Amino acid sequence: MREVGIVGVGHPRFGKYEGSLMSMLCEAAVEALDDAGIKTGEGHGVDQVLVSTMGGSQVNRQTGVASALVDTLNLRPAMAETVENGPASGASAVKLGYMAIASGMCDVVLVVGGERMRVLSGWEATDFVATMSHPEAEYAYGLTLPSFAGMFTRLIMEKYGVTERDLAMVSVKNHENAMFNPSAHIQLAPKLEAITEDEDALTINPYVAEPLHVYDVCPVSDGAAAVVLCALDVKERFARKPVKIAGIGQATDTHVVAEREVPTDLFAVRHAAQRAYDMAGLQPQDIDVAELHDAFTILEIVESEEVGFFPRGEGHLAVRRGETQIGGRIPINTSGGLKAKGHPLGATGVSQIIELVKQLRGEADGRQVKDAKAGLAVNFGGFGNNVVATILTREEE
Amino acid sequence: MEREMIAYQCIQCGELHHPLHYVCRKCGGRDFEEVPLRGEAKLLTWTKVYNLPEGYMKPSLGFGIVEFENGLRVAGQLDVPQPKFGMKLISTVDVVREGVGQDYYGFIFKSQEA
Repeated sequence: MREVGIVGVGHPRFGKYEGSLMSMLCEAAVEALDDAGIKTGEGHGVDQVLVSTMGGSQVNRQTGVASALVDTLNLRPAMAETVENGPASGASAVKLGYMAIASGMCDVVLVVGGERMRVLSGWEATDFVATMSHPEAEYAYGLTLPSFAGMFTRLIMEKYGVTERDLAMVSVKNHENAMFNPSAHIQLAPKLEAITEDEDALTINPYVAEPLHVYDVCPVSDGAAAVVLCALDVKERFARKPVKIAGIGQATDTHVVAEREVPTDLFAVRHAAQRAYDMAGLQPQDIDVAELHDAFTILEIVESEEVGFFPRGEGHLAVRRGETQIGGRIPINTSGGLKAKGHPLGATGVSQIIELVKQLRGEADGRQVKDAKAGLAVNFGGFGNNVVATILTREEE
Repeated sequence: MEREMIAYQCIQCGELHHPLHYVCRKCGGRDFEEVPLRGEAKLLTWTKVYNLPEGYMKPSLGFGIVEFENGLRVAGQLDVPQPKFGMKLISTVDVVREGVGQDYYGFIFKSQEA
C-alpha cells in the first residue's frame, strides 16, 4: 500500500462568515493549494476532490457541493464526491482521500470541509444537529446532543467523581489555547472563578443541559478547512515536506444511546483509536499532542481515557494536575478545541488534522508543543456512534 | 384510544428491543413479536435542558434514561421535580412533540407519588 502525507493546509478563521458556503470552501481550498505550492489552472495535478459537509443540503439548500467546488476552482476533470458523516464528516473525508491514494487510484487529493450554520437561529441549529439521532426513539422527544451530553456527564460524575469545576478547567484551558490560534472563533478566555464560584457565575455561565453549562458546550460556528493529500512517492512535486498519515481507525456504536451496554463508555472512540494505533504501530505513550472532539467538555475527559492517555476514571485528575495543558505530559486541544476554536461540523475533522500538521511542522506559534513527533485526532459523530481517529507523524529526514 | 408503546421481542432468542431493529442485536434473528412496553422503570440518568429545539414553547424540559423491569433501557421525557439515581418511576404515554397535523407520542416518566 502506498504511503500518504499532507502537503498543504488551509484554515481561514472560524466564526461568522458573510459569504456563501461555496466561497467559504474556496477560500480554504486555495489557501491549502497555495501552501502545497500547487498552481491553479492547467497542470494542477489534483486527481480527486472530497468535500465534507453535514448541512450543505439541509441548511444551505445546496447539493452536489463537491461537483460545484471542482468547477468553481477550475479543477476539472478531477473526480469529486461530497461526504456526509455527521460531525465526523471531516475525518471521514480525509480517510477516503487516504484510501484513494493508498489504493493507487489517485496521487493527489484535495479535501475541503465546511459548514455555514450561523444562518440558523440557536434552536434551529440544535434541531438540525439532532436529526442524526434516532427519529422515533430520540429526535421525536426533543432530545438533542446537549441532552445526551448532560445525561452522560451525570453518569460520569456519579461513577468517577468528576465535578463541574473539572469541566470548567477543560473549558478555560481550551479558551486559553485558542488565544494563540488566529483561526479560532472565540479569542477570549474566561477566568475559572468567574464561571464557577463567583457570585454571578450562574448568570455568566448558566446551565444548558444540567449539569453542563454554557462554557461546557461548543459554539455554533461557520468555517471551512482544507488539506492537500499526496502519495509520499510523489512528494517532490510540492513546496512543503509532507506530514505522514500513519494510522486511521474508525468504529461505530449503537445509534440509540440508551441501548449502550456500558452507558459510561465511549466504545467507538476506544476502538477507532486502537485501530489507528495498530495501523501506525504506535501506542498511546508515543503520542505528543492530541486534538480530541470536545463538543462538550466531558467528552475531552472521557476520550482522553478511551484513547489510552489515562486510566478510566482518571482523566479529570490529569486535568487538575495540568497534564493536558501545553507543556504538560500530553497537551490536548492546543488549537482551542471545538469549545473555543469553534465547531463548523463538516470542517471540524479537517481542522483537527490541520492543528496536528502545524504542531508536527513546528508552526504552531505561541502554542507549539516542543519537538512534537506524533499527533492523534479524534473526530466524534452522533453521540459517539461513528468515530474516526487519525494519527499523523513527522517525516524524518 | 389509549396509546401504548411497543417493544420488539426476537422470536428466536427472546431479546427485547426498542425501537425496532431489522436484525436482532443478540442472535441475528430477523423476526420479532410486538409486546407492550409499560409499567415501572428505574431512573438511570437525567438532565434538564434549557435550549430546546425548534417547536417547543417551554423554557426547559426534563429528559431521562430509564430501565424497565424487563431490563430494556429507553430514553424519554422526565416529569419529576427532584430526580434521584435509581428512583422508581411510572411510564406514561403522551404527546412529546407537537407536529403539523401529527403529534408524536412517547414516554413521559413520572414519579410514583404524583
